[in-house]
Formats: sequence, structure tokens, C-alpha cells
Amino acid sequence: MVFGYQVRHLKVTGNGVRNMENVENREHKAKKEFACGKMGYLVVERQPDGQTHIQYADSIACELSGYSAERLRSAEPEEAVKGLEVSMVPLDDGHELWILDTADNRRLRIAEPEHMNAALEEALRAAEAANLAKSSFLSNMSHDIRTPMNAIIGMTSIGLTHIDEKPRVQDCLMKIKTASAHLMSLVNDVLDMSRIDSGRLTLNEEPFSLPDLVHDIAVIIRPQAVQKKQKLWLEIGHILEENLMGDPLRLRQILVNIVGNAVKYTPEGGEIRVRLGQHLAAEEGSTVPEAGTQESGKEEKNFPGTRRMVLDFICEDNGIGMSQEFLKKIFIPFERVRNTTISKIEGTGLGMAIVKNLVERMGGEITVESREGEGSRFQVEIPVAAAEQNRKDTALPAGGIVLMAECRDDRVAQVTGYLEEEGFRLVRTRSGLETVTRLTEAQYENHMPCALLLGQELEDMSALELASHVRQLAGRAFPILLVSEEDWAQIEYRAVRAGVNAFVPCPLFRSRLMETLSAYAGSGRQQEGTPGDGDTDYGSHHVLLAEDIALNQEIAMEILSAMGVQVEVADDGKEALEKFTSSPEGYYDIIFMDIQMPVMDGYEAARRIRQLPRNDAESVWIVAMTANAFVEDIRRSRDAGMNEHCSKPVDPERLQEILRGRLG
Amino acid sequence: MQLYQQEYIANLKEIVMLTTGERREKLSFEAYLEQSDRKRRRGEELVKRNMKLLREGLFPVLDHIYAADETEISELREFAGELTGGKEDLDGGLYCQIHKALLSLARMRKDRKEMIRELYCLGMGYYGLYNKLVGLERKEIQKYTSQMRLCFAEAAAYLKYFDEIEDTETRGFILRSRANMSLGQFNTPGEKIRMVKRTLEILQDKGFQEKEPGLPWDRYIFLTHQQMAASISYGRESTMTSRDVEDVMESVYIVYQRRFEEAAQRKQKMLLRPSFSYYVIEYFCGMFGIDGLLARMETLMDGADAADFSEEGMYGIISLPAFYSQYLNDYPDKIPGRAEYVRNLYRRAMEYVEAFPREEESEKLFLYLRQLPSTFVEVEGGILYKQFLLKILMRFAPEIYVHSKVVADAAVVFCRLIIDEEPDFFDDMDSIREIGEPLEKRQAILDYARECGMLHDVGKINFMNLYSQTARQWFEEEYEMAHLHTNVGAAWLGERESTSMYAPVALGHHCWYDGSHGYPETYHRLECPCRQMVDIIGMLDWINNVVDTATMYTGVEKSFREAVDAAIDLERRRFSPLLTARLRDKAIAEQMEKAFAEGRREAYRLLYESM
Repeated sequence: MVFGYQVRHLKVTGNGVRNMENVENREHKAKKEFACGKMGYLVVERQPDGQTHIQYADSIACELSGYSAERLRSAEPEEAVKGLEVSMVPLDDGHELWILDTADNRRLRIAEPEHMNAALEEALRAAEAANLAKSSFLSNMSHDIRTPMNAIIGMTSIGLTHIDEKPRVQDCLMKIKTASAHLMSLVNDVLDMSRIDSGRLTLNEEPFSLPDLVHDIAVIIRPQAVQKKQKLWLEIGHILEENLMGDPLRLRQILVNIVGNAVKYTPEGGEIRVRLGQHLAAEEGSTVPEAGTQESGKEEKNFPGTRRMVLDFICEDNGIGMSQEFLKKIFIPFERVRNTTISKIEGTGLGMAIVKNLVERMGGEITVESREGEGSRFQVEIPVAAAEQNRKDTALPAGGIVLMAECRDDRVAQVTGYLEEEGFRLVRTRSGLETVTRLTEAQYENHMPCALLLGQELEDMSALELASHVRQLAGRAFPILLVSEEDWAQIEYRAVRAGVNAFVPCPLFRSRLMETLSAYAGSGRQQEGTPGDGDTDYGSHHVLLAEDIALNQEIAMEILSAMGVQVEVADDGKEALEKFTSSPEGYYDIIFMDIQMPVMDGYEAARRIRQLPRNDAESVWIVAMTANAFVEDIRRSRDAGMNEHCSKPVDPERLQEILRGRLG
Repeated sequence: MQLYQQEYIANLKEIVMLTTGERREKLSFEAYLEQSDRKRRRGEELVKRNMKLLREGLFPVLDHIYAADETEISELREFAGELTGGKEDLDGGLYCQIHKALLSLARMRKDRKEMIRELYCLGMGYYGLYNKLVGLERKEIQKYTSQMRLCFAEAAAYLKYFDEIEDTETRGFILRSRANMSLGQFNTPGEKIRMVKRTLEILQDKGFQEKEPGLPWDRYIFLTHQQMAASISYGRESTMTSRDVEDVMESVYIVYQRRFEEAAQRKQKMLLRPSFSYYVIEYFCGMFGIDGLLARMETLMDGADAADFSEEGMYGIISLPAFYSQYLNDYPDKIPGRAEYVRNLYRRAMEYVEAFPREEESEKLFLYLRQLPSTFVEVEGGILYKQFLLKILMRFAPEIYVHSKVVADAAVVFCRLIIDEEPDFFDDMDSIREIGEPLEKRQAILDYARECGMLHDVGKINFMNLYSQTARQWFEEEYEMAHLHTNVGAAWLGERESTSMYAPVALGHHCWYDGSHGYPETYHRLECPCRQMVDIIGMLDWINNVVDTATMYTGVEKSFREAVDAAIDLERRRFSPLLTARLRDKAIAEQMEKAFAEGRREAYRLLYESM
């Protein structure tokens, strides 16, 4: 049977049932609260004479009316529902369904969907925004990941097709290397951002050398600038302390990101000027960041008794610049300057967001000024503390004269400052001819300078051409030191052949200059050994490589074997443990241990090795090899008993560094 | 001199005679061919003999120079003097080696007088080497100018102690060294002018003159004025300041006046060189414009005597046209109106070269002629640049011409074999790929191969005496210098539209296939738009060098078969596997051997006919 829904609304007025007891009233009130927002149902029988009585009442109807079901059944229906809103739905000829409601309930129910709608709309908007962000992220990521992946896949195919053409394959491999490095940086950025977002990024607090840090930055950035025929000036201003406390990796990340962007967004032939200096922190008791804590975004700590200062860093370029509109968004993830001229510039758009976050976490500040088409200027100030000083005394004769051949005034001014503070006098020449004239006269008059600092720019010839003649003129004992921004590795062979004794890298730090001068021109001079001298023979050393992936095994084997060490391989941690256990004591010098391996992971293997009852169990050098390069990963591997950490993908230089460090 | 030294000098002179060339009037082609072979064999014998003389006679002395006695030292000096004696630079490289050793000895002995002399001599030796490089970009020859100038600068530094050095000869070396510091190219004309000006101030200082009246001060001063006046030849209004012009002007007038008076006394015409300097300085002073200067130069060139084979004649017929062409390159809008004049200018220069007596100062003529390739202007209907270069090769370096012709003919044969199998082999070149018609495409490839072969070594023109008149194997420095021929060739060919397509071959033909060795660094194989042809010319050039031409200066000598085997051994490293794979085919190797032999004969025939 199908009922027609002809709903009649009945507004019942009047006093209704009055004879309720107090208890009932209290209960009724409580129950009404319980029934809040709900509707009650009555089935009412209507007899042909018009009399009605309640045949059924549900619990809500009881609660709303204040009657028990029993009483309702005997009550006059219209009297019982007095004060309630009633909708009557005919069920059949003799029965009606009464739907009981209160005015409050009704208002609530009307209002509720509006609220819900508003909430839902809000939620929808948020979801859409999140979805948009996610889509944008995915779109960016898929494009940015696909681009290097395309190169990797495409170049691999081309390489395989032309496998017999060595130069072609070499070219492909170089491109694959570049694309892989880009991909890796992309993934690192995303991971960093994710850690920042989830509040899991921690900063280290360790002593580091500012000259090393700046040198690293120069080594990374300069080749890129050279490739774009840009002038990159790295200038060192007033430096109060060279040895500092902080997180050098994250500092490097900040500086490399900013200068790297300048190189990226400055056209060929442009100019980038980077200045690094220090000033004393304004107030006593001012703070510098502390690693490992995280409160209100900044990590702060007092360093009683340490010298507090601020690291000033400015990077200016005459590149494409940014619009004022974009400047507002520069620190927002995934925002990149987009126009046709730079569409080929790679990047995730995460770099500056990470930089800002890191700077702020270090308690510093970053500001940026830019004009479209004119260039940009980034200024960073980061509070730092001085590390414990380990200054070496120079063994130079006081009052000596140092000759410097250089036509760059800024370089000469810097060297003059350093030397004068040490009680030296600098005599400067601008050309090769002038230098030779000076030295000839000095030799004739028997007052040769302590050393010749050979700069990087001369008016009339290259520094190495001059070095070659000076070596003849002044003899073998006369120190010739090359002070240059060039990459020593690239020029070492020619420079040493020309007679250069040592290299002082630029940007120039006082410690580097004075230590080198002291080594070559000081009273306790050590003539032999220029930087990077000689290759070491590691042929008698044994290395155990624990790695489960065959390709990774092959690559690491290739690199290690090329360095001459004897390499043995284990496919998992268990096998590594067995090999170590069965080897004679002291047989392995180093164990390179992958972390994620089947059967037994690297942590477990390292732990078990350390527990073995043999003399070398504690001393064998274990190096964790993993792509997990976060602070906690490193800590975890240390906790497991490993000595050192080597990030994957394996870098030959890093491996070499580890071998040198351990094997000498 | 010792006997080995005398013999070495005699051998050097004989080698010069062998390469000077003779007229063919009385010889048949076969007799000419036989004579050429005989000369070549004799040259090789002399080189081997000279190597033995140096190994057994000279090098032991140089090895133990610190223990040498005074007689040996004195003989060495005499020997070195003979190597650059007279008007010809017989062996500048060996001259420098000897003086380097003598300088080391003087330094070791702390013998100041000898040190100053040796610095001067070594500076002069480097100047001789530098002179072989005239016409190259400044940055490419800076190493040599720096070496030269540093020697002179060190010797000149003793000027401060002029009073303490009482020996007249040594004082002379100091002053001459000071003056010679301004030899060669500088970054700007202004630098050179300031350097010469300072020298003039020193030479004109009465204090110095009174201390050493025995020195020829007037001559020193006049030669320095001449040097100052000559600097105007290379100067340009855009690179010279008004101060520079003012400084040069005085010297130009002094030289002009002296030469004018001398000419008047002898009742002869005014010399061309000072006249040219005079006009240029007037032009720089704004007395007339570029048209006026060009017109005056035309008057000077027209007045030059084409039958005068002295330096004055060479200057008028060859040097002035080179300067004139340089001005036209600076002002290309002046070329169309002077096309006819330029055509005649080059025609006359080539006729002059043809008519130049072969027994005369061939090297001097070549030094003048060498100025022309870098400034050459191509005009419609005139001699083409490549014809001009090949004519110079035929006349002054017939053995390089023969080598180029052999490589060209062999390249044609080799390319024909390749395109028979792979018609698209050369599609890396846009101009070839775009040709649709197969026969036309084939012909274009073969023509290109021939021209590449002919022109790949034109840069050697700049180092002619290094290749043509060498009397021994090269020293390391000379080997490095010879490397520059790729840059020179590429620069010359690249600058002219008619030859620019051959520039990559000139640049890259010594580069290794895998990029691991070879030169120059500026060539990147994978970026080269015609690398297949560069690879072919590079391989054929190498084969012919080890079989024939380079024996004298590198000491490498192989039969054709041995050379082919060696090339195959160098597969994937020095040579493309796509090419060596073909050499493995015995039939192809035989065809190539035949092509090399026939190419050589054809080259000699062309030389014979050109005489």
C-alpha cells in the first residue's frame, strides 16, 4: 500500500497537561535536552466519530511530551501534545502519524544545514586549496623530475645505441651525471621542505672553519659562473673570527642557494658580487642559535664567555631581477620567476623557502631587494659564536718585506691589511717587468723579500710566465706563492713546473695566507710538499664493502679499486659480519657498510661487529654508506657503532678523503 | 768552433739551399721528380747527421755546463752566434737552448757581466722565435713575448747600477736590453709608446751619455725613434689616445727628416716606410680622413718598383698592401669603390713573388709576404683567398703543398668509398644533408673533401721555417709552437666567407677521436658540425705525416702498411672506428696506398708546372 504524504501542520496551543509531578518535570527537562533536535512519533487512531486515541508513542515522543508511553496511550492526544509542533501524516483512513517537534528543534534543524553547508563549503574550499597546492606540487614535481629523468633515459638510450663510440658515450654519461645530480638536489630539496614542514629539521652545533666553508662555496659556484662567462667577485670583509660554531652544512646550503640563484638568473657575461664579513653582535647577552631545540621557530641559546658576532652576507647581481609582485612570493615554496628568457632554468622553487626557514631557525634574517631587469640583492645576517681558537703562531721574521705582483687593488689592500697586522711590509708591483726589475735590484742590494706573492692578474703577462722567470732569477730557495681564485687542481701541474711553491686560495683569509707564508718563508720553513702532493699507495690495505645492490657494488668497487685498495664484497650485513669474524685480526682497515640490506641491515651488522670478542672489533673503522643524510640518521649509525658517514650516491672524492683520513 | 759545430752549420746551410728551390728550365718532369726525391732524401740524411752531431757533441757539454772550461764556453758562444749569424736565422731554437745554458752558468757563477750578456742574447733569441709568430693573436704568442721581455727587463734592471758597472760592452747590453723591452706586441699601442718613450728619456739623459761616451748614443736614439715611428703601423685611431699620437709624432718627424735628407743627398726617392708613418701620423692628427690616407697609400704603392727585390721593394709591393688591406677591413664600405685597385694590388704582389729570384733572400720575402694572409680582402673577380694561400704554399713550402695535395686526393678516394656504402655518412653537415639529388650530393661531398685536404694545413704558413728549414727534430717548445698552426689556419679560413666552411677541419684535424689528446683545446669534436670530415682529414693527415712529411721533425717513420696498422691500433682513441673499420678492408687499404702515391706524383707535377 502506498501512502500519500499530505502533511498537515498543527500548531497546538493552550496549557496542555498540567498535572505533572516535580520529579517528572525535572526528568522531562533532562529528557527534553536528550531529545534535543530529534522528532517524536505517535500513531493516532481516528474513529469515525472523530474521537482519537494514541495507539503508539516512541521514546522521543514521550520525552518531548513529558508523558510515559502508557500515559500517552490513555491521554487525550491533542492535550498531550499541547505546546509542541505537530505534523500529521495520514496513514490510512483510520490512522495518522503525528510527528512531534518543538520550535527550538525546528530552528535548530533549519539552522543546522546552513551551518553544515557553510562548514562543508569551508572544508571544500580548504580541500580544493589543498588539492590545488597538491596538484601544483605534483605538476611542478612531475615536470621537474621528468625533465632530468627524460635526459637520463634518453641519454642512456643514445649511449647504448652508440656504445662503440667512446666520445659519444662519454658525452651521454656526462649529461646523465648532470641530470642525476639535479635530480638528487631536487629530491633533497623536497625532503628538506618536508622536514621543515613537519618540524623535524634539526641544526647541528659544531666547530667549523669559515675559510673552508667559503672555499667550498667557491669551488661549487665558480665553475658555473665561468661556464656562463660571468664575473664572480667573492670578497671577504672584516673577519673577527675564522673558527665558528654552527651548522656548516646548512650554512653552506644557504649561501650556495643564494649565490647559485644569482648565477642561474644572471645572463652570460653578467656580474655577481658576494661579500662576506662579520660584526660584533649589538648587545651583551644576545643570543645565537642552538641546535637540537625548536621553539617558536627559532633555536636560541646563550653562549656565556664566547665571542658573539653576526655573519654578514650580501650577494648582488645584475641579472634578470624580480618584479615587486614576485618579491612578495619569493619565499613561498614552488614559486619561481617565470618568463620566456629563463624557461630553461632548472629548479624546484623550494630553495628560497628552505633558505628563509634555515636562516630564521638560526636566528638570522634575510632580506631581498630587486628590480626587474636590473638585478637582485640578498642580504643575510646570521648570529654566530666563535669556536675555541686554535690559532697557529707564525714563524715569520718580523719587519720583513713581502713582494706582491698583482694589479687588482682590492686584493692588494686585503693582503696589506693582513701583513701589516703581523708587522710586515708589502711592496707591490703591477706587472711582470716591474717585478723582475724589483727582484733584480733587491738581489743586487742583498735585501731580497721574504717571498713573492704572485697574484692572479698582471698588466703584461700571466702569473705563471712570471713565476718561471723569477724561479731562474731568484733561485730554488726563494718562496713563490700563488694567491689566486683559480682552482689549484686545474693549474697545479703547470704552476709547480713554473716554480710555484705553494698556493693560497682566494677569497683570501688571514690564516691561510699567514700559515702558508710561515711554512715557506718562516724560520722553521718546510720547503717540500705543495698542496695535493703525491699519490699514496694503498695497495697493502683491505677494505670490506657491504652492499646488496649489484650496481652500487660495482660503482663503489670501481672507485675504491681505482685508488689501489684491496676490496672484498659482502652482499648483506650477515655476510659482512661473517667475513669480518673469519678474517685475521687487523685484516680489514675499513668497512664500508650499506644501511638498508636484506637478511641483516647495516646497523645490526655494525652493532654485532662491535660486540665480537676480538681485539679489532672496537677499532675497525666502519663507514655508513647511505642516502639517508639527516642528522638523526648519522646519529643512529653512530649509535650502532659506526665511525663515519658517507652519503650516497658515492662520491669518489669523498671516498678518497675517507681513505686518506684513515690510511694516510 | 769545434768540428761538430762547423759541420752542423754547414749542414744547416745546405738544408736552406735544398729548400730554396730552383727553376725547372733544364729539367723534364721525371728528372724534376727524381731531383725532388733526391733532395728530400738528402735533407733527411742531413737531419739524421745533425741529430747525431748534437747528441754526441753539444748535449754532453750542455749537460755538464757547470764543469765546462772557458774554451768550451767560448766555442759555444761562437757556435750560437753562427746559428743566427748573418741575415738569416739558421736555427733560432738551438740558439736559445745554448744561451739558456750559458745564462744558468752565469747565474750559478754569479757572474753579473755574463748574466747581463746572456740575458740580452736569450732575449734576442726569443725575439727571433716571436718573429716566427707574427700575425697570430696576441694571447697566443704572449708566452713568447713575455719570455723575451722578462730577459730584457732583468738585464735592463742593472741600469740603476750603471755607475758600478764599468765595462762598456756590458753597459751597452743594458741599454740595448732597455730599448728592446718594447719589442713585440702590447695590449695597447699606448703601452708600447710609453715604454719606448721612457727608453728615449734614458738614452737622451746626458748623465748616462757622459758616463759612457764610448757608446753609439746617436744610433741608439735614432733606432729607438724608428721603433716608436713603426708602432704607428699597428696603431688604430680607436686604440690610440691623443697623448700617444703626440708621443709618436716627434719620432715620426725625426725619422722622416733624417731619411728625407739622406735620400736628397743620394738623389734618390724618399723611402716608403717613413713616408707611410708620416702619412699615418698626419691622418691621426686629423689632417685628412681615411680616404685621404688610402689615396696617399695608393700613391706610395703605385710608386713602388716591382723590379726592386730589396727590402724597399718588398715593403712597397707586399707590406703596404697588407696595411692598406687592414684599413679596408676596418672600413669595409671603402672596398667596393676600390675593388679593381685591390685586384691589381694582389695580382702585382703575386707576380712579384713569382719573379723574385729564388736564390735571393727567400726567407726575407716570406717574412714580408706572411703579413698578407691575415689582412687579405676578397673582391669579386680577384684572386680567391684559397688560391692565394695555395700559391704561397707552392712557392715557399712545396713539401707542405705536396702533403696537402696527397691528403686531398686520398680524402676524395676515401670519401667515395664511404658514400658508395653509406650515402648519408656526411649528413652531419647541413649543407650536404639538404642536397636531395644523389649525384649532386656525391659531387658536393667529394669537392668538399678535396678542398678540406688542400687547406687543412694552411696555418703552417705562419711557421714556415719551423717546417721547411728544420735541420733537426723539434725541441718541446717548437713542438708546442707548431701546435698553433691549427688555430692560425682556422682563424684565417674562418674570417673569409669563401673559406669559412673549411675552418673546422683546419682547427680539429689533430684532435683525438675520444678527446683525450691532441690540440687545440678550443676544438670540441662533438660540437663540430662536420666532424666526420674532420675525422677523415685528421686520419689521412696522420698517415701521410708518419709515412712521409713529419719524419724530419718528429722522428716518426713508418711504411704505409705500418701506418695503417698503427691507425687501426689507435681505433676509438685517436681515430673514429667508422673510419678504421674501412682501413681493415685489404682492398680499401690498397686503394688508399695507391691514392697516396698518385696524389704525391700529381702534387709534384703541379709544382713542376707552376715553376
